[in-house]
Amino acid sequence: MNVNLMHGAGGEVMGELLKTLTAFKNNNAGGLGLESLDDGAVIPVNGTNIVLTTDSHVVRPIFFPGGDIGRISVCGTINDLAVMGARPIALTSAMIIEEGFEISGLARIVASMDQALEEAGAAIVTGDTKVVERGSLDGIIINTAGIGIADRPVRDSGLREGDQIIVSGTLGDHGISILAYREGFDLGDQLRSDVAPVWGMVDLALRAGEIHAMKDPTRGGFAAAINEMARKSGVSILLDEEQVPIRQSVRSAGELMGIDPLQVANEGKVVMGVPAADAEAVLAAIRSHPLGRDASIIGEVVTGSDVIMRTSIGGERFIEPPLGDPVPRVC
Amino acid sequence: MRRSGTIIIRGIVQGVGFRPFVYAAARSLGIHGSVTNLGSEVIIHAEGEKFDEFLRKIRIGPRLSGIDDFLVYPLEGVIADDFRILESGPGNLTGLIPPDVAICEHCIADISEKGGHYSRYWATSCVDCGPRYSIIRALPYDRIRTTMDLFPPCPICEGEYTNPLLRRHHAQTIACARCGPTLTLMDRDGNSLTDTDTIQRAAELLDAGKILAIRGIGGFHIACIESAAERLKSLLGRTEQPLAIMAEYDIAEEMTIIHPEDAEILRSPARPIVVLEKRDHSAHETISNLHTIGVMLPYTGLHHLLFSHLTSPLLVMTSANSPGDPMITEIDQAMSRLRGTVEYFLTHNREIMNRCDDSVVRDGLIIRLSRGMAPKRSRVDLGEKAILAVGPELNANATIYNDGICITSPHIGNIRNPPTLRYLEETVDRLRTLTGITPEIIACDAHPQFLSTRYAKNLAEELGADLIPVQHHRAHIAAATVEECIGIAIDGVGYGDDQTVWGGEIFAGKVPEYARVGHLEEVLMPGGDTATRHPERMLYGIIQRDEILDLLKARGWNDVALSALAHQVERRFNTTTTTSTGRVLDAASALLGLCRERTYDGEPAMRLEAAAAQGSPTDWEIIIHDSGGTATLLTTHLMEKALTEYLPYTSELPMVRRRGVADIAASFQHNLARGIAHLAVLAAEENGIMKAALSGGVCYNRMIRRTICSELSDHGITPIINTEYPLGDGCISYGQTIMAGRR
Ligand SMILES: [Fe+3]
Ligand SMILES: [Mg+2]
Ligand SMILES: [Zn+2]
Ligand SMILES: [Zn+2]
Repeated sequence: MNVNLMHGAGGEVMGELLKTLTAFKNNNAGGLGLESLDDGAVIPVNGTNIVLTTDSHVVRPIFFPGGDIGRISVCGTINDLAVMGARPIALTSAMIIEEGFEISGLARIVASMDQALEEAGAAIVTGDTKVVERGSLDGIIINTAGIGIADRPVRDSGLREGDQIIVSGTLGDHGISILAYREGFDLGDQLRSDVAPVWGMVDLALRAGEIHAMKDPTRGGFAAAINEMARKSGVSILLDEEQVPIRQSVRSAGELMGIDPLQVANEGKVVMGVPAADAEAVLAAIRSHPLGRDASIIGEVVTGSDVIMRTSIGGERFIEPPLGDPVPRVC
Repeated sequence: MRRSGTIIIRGIVQGVGFRPFVYAAARSLGIHGSVTNLGSEVIIHAEGEKFDEFLRKIRIGPRLSGIDDFLVYPLEGVIADDFRILESGPGNLTGLIPPDVAICEHCIADISEKGGHYSRYWATSCVDCGPRYSIIRALPYDRIRTTMDLFPPCPICEGEYTNPLLRRHHAQTIACARCGPTLTLMDRDGNSLTDTDTIQRAAELLDAGKILAIRGIGGFHIACIESAAERLKSLLGRTEQPLAIMAEYDIAEEMTIIHPEDAEILRSPARPIVVLEKRDHSAHETISNLHTIGVMLPYTGLHHLLFSHLTSPLLVMTSANSPGDPMITEIDQAMSRLRGTVEYFLTHNREIMNRCDDSVVRDGLIIRLSRGMAPKRSRVDLGEKAILAVGPELNANATIYNDGICITSPHIGNIRNPPTLRYLEETVDRLRTLTGITPEIIACDAHPQFLSTRYAKNLAEELGADLIPVQHHRAHIAAATVEECIGIAIDGVGYGDDQTVWGGEIFAGKVPEYARVGHLEEVLMPGGDTATRHPERMLYGIIQRDEILDLLKARGWNDVALSALAHQVERRFNTTTTTSTGRVLDAASALLGLCRERTYDGEPAMRLEAAAAQGSPTDWEIIIHDSGGTATLLTTHLMEKALTEYLPYTSELPMVRRRGVADIAASFQHNLARGIAHLAVLAAEENGIMKAALSGGVCYNRMIRRTICSELSDHGITPIINTEYPLGDGCISYGQTIMAGRR
């Protein structure tokens, strides 16, 4: 079998590919390694928890409402560090550029990266550049890696029964807006990506209370993230539809395109599980940050193995991890 | 001439009063010996002068029985000098889990008899009637293994149970007011309304327009009188959905056209809901805004007693659950879930072990296979390996096979709802424990995202069974016949071999090899499932004409939504193709302004059918493209024709338009059916197969089914229609079993 695009979609199909790609015997440097498939690795060095993560970024289009590939490539790595509970310190930047790419575009991308670094209080300290033949990639690929320091590393698998599930803001903004923009839908101009570095907000949350588990709902959206957290933690999650924040413009755009905002990427959001006693304090801390104004407690952790949404009309439905492209199934 | 023998009878022999039947025959003919029940077989040791006559007599079996095998061997063992019913023993349990049976005439008479032992007792039953499956914990069927075990019979009931001369000899559910389960009437806060006659009080509340939850055989109903129907629907948030009614036969006959076949089904021991045509199509609109209405007759003592007190002629009766969710069986659950809807609760203390919704039948075809009809048992040889099939997703049920017998569970519902998926899992567990079967093969739908597929995968892993995904429409056809045939599978959605959405398929061949030789034209489904919920999107997916956009704009679509729809189709963004027949009917319904949003399963197509029932069809041109052995019916052409016919009416007065719409609706259905039939005829001639099996939910549409059948007959092709299993997705688990077993 050959790799196809479904293998990169972040769904269950990608999980199959990952089995091949993570078959390293040398996968742990002490602490948390590749085996935990978390947002980053934890390497204890002289009593300090160094967190390391890396991410390659391909975005079409390269510039979009609310951001560009540069901002995403910095925020992606900073956010992966942040949801491990780590203060981002330093990043690397490796660019692979297609022959013919405009230099002015690169300048814009670099400025945008710098802006994001500024917001997060981090720096790009080393890098690499390759130029490849026209046609061998679509414009530019940016890889960033980053290190951070975590006082108490937070995993995505630490949910416990009774935990409250908090999301730091509206869901689906990035995915829906970039789809609409890329596909040329004219759905009004309120649609914007949420791409932003979340460390400042996460830092406030970590100070306000205990956080059992945390994840950034990027590829595959909230649906993929929450299912992964539930599965890795061996718990079930009950969500309350009315509490799930989704911007009206995102909701309508999703309806018009037939795309579920819960199944598309976010680039400036955090999902976390917090013990009930700390939930209100953590929520208040998140809300005190500009990126967290729409934060909400959307559900709780119970025993079981599924993610279930209680709907506004009193029914229940499963939140399923996206499995490649949706195939119609309503009979 | 034989004088003795050991007789083994296999088939539907449990819960039907087989042993007392044999006992009575033996006594009357002076036969000595014994009868015992080993799960799915009855074993008789018999000796006597009139042995042959005895054989003749018992070969017929009691009323509810069905005999597969009747074997006589030389007598084994020693015979006593009388005739005895022996204790049931364990044995092969695949024979039958007996379904529930409506109260019989004798028991109704017992209830109305003044001063009798069963006078006005709500749960009166006998060897011929009463609950079975819904109260069974384990097999063989005997009181101690049912939820009646908590009600030890009083001396009088015990006397009747043991008296071979009485109708209740060995009736496992025997009970009376002194010893049996009792009724309670409560308000929504759980305060019980003590009254001399609970049922009379409940009837008074109903007559006063109150909404009651009533615990029945297999779960709770919500009931009210006709004038409260509108209020009930708005409380349920289901303002458009037709509800069923319960009424005595004469009332039903006043309201609807009941053909003799319908009457027979209405009064059958299964006592299902029968979908009947209203005499006046626009009457009883608050109950059903279609030209049809679902009607059932009272089927328990409780129902009969309620009607004896009720002044209102009918009760609206709907299962107390959201559509697709499992029926509510427990009073605590009913009280917490139905608080906002129901004012009073009429409940009883007989535990419902196995939930069972009402069955539904239309034109003799099963729409929902459930109470009284399921567990459904069929004999078919599928080899040595035990098979479990878990069905599709929306109208799921499960089938289990072993040793020549398939058993299909009652209707389960839409397993995308978490409680319904749990119910499927429970049902599979129950089937496995009741029958003692561990599946070696697990069959599921080919749709990779169906939750039943995921469940099947996990279970197969757990049990080390082989997983066999079965294409949806082939399962439809395999459920209809195992003979070589042309298969016509017309429904809403099924995952195709080419990973697109099928639903208007013509096959040729024999299980499990069905070649796809024809289908409806591939049309666009803008936004995927969104196009099912909003059939106007589907309409534009079929014909991308400015007239459609103008029509939608005139109906209130805003510019952003319209341009998004047009853009989506142009870019093919999140737009798959489908050959679904249901979606084409939905689109026609949308075109004619009959249904703009689907609020319940099948609504657009049902509204189209209701409109068409008022109109008369004309023949339109039918175009079939033949591309490399696969014939395609151009549905866009039919839709264009409908559009041309419809546009002039948009400016007409409502009355004129309604008549025009009725004719277009009728013509559209008629010509779609002709087109489908032509595809089948082409396939039949090409392949030299002169039988055609019809399946899929679209076949419930009377006009479409009849048009297809008559076109087939005109070409010398024999139509085969499945009357044993639903035509809709309720047949899929059975079809999957056949496909997997014959693989
Ligand atoms: Fe189907
Ligand atoms: Mg991450
Ligand atoms: Zn009876
Ligand atoms: Zn009694």
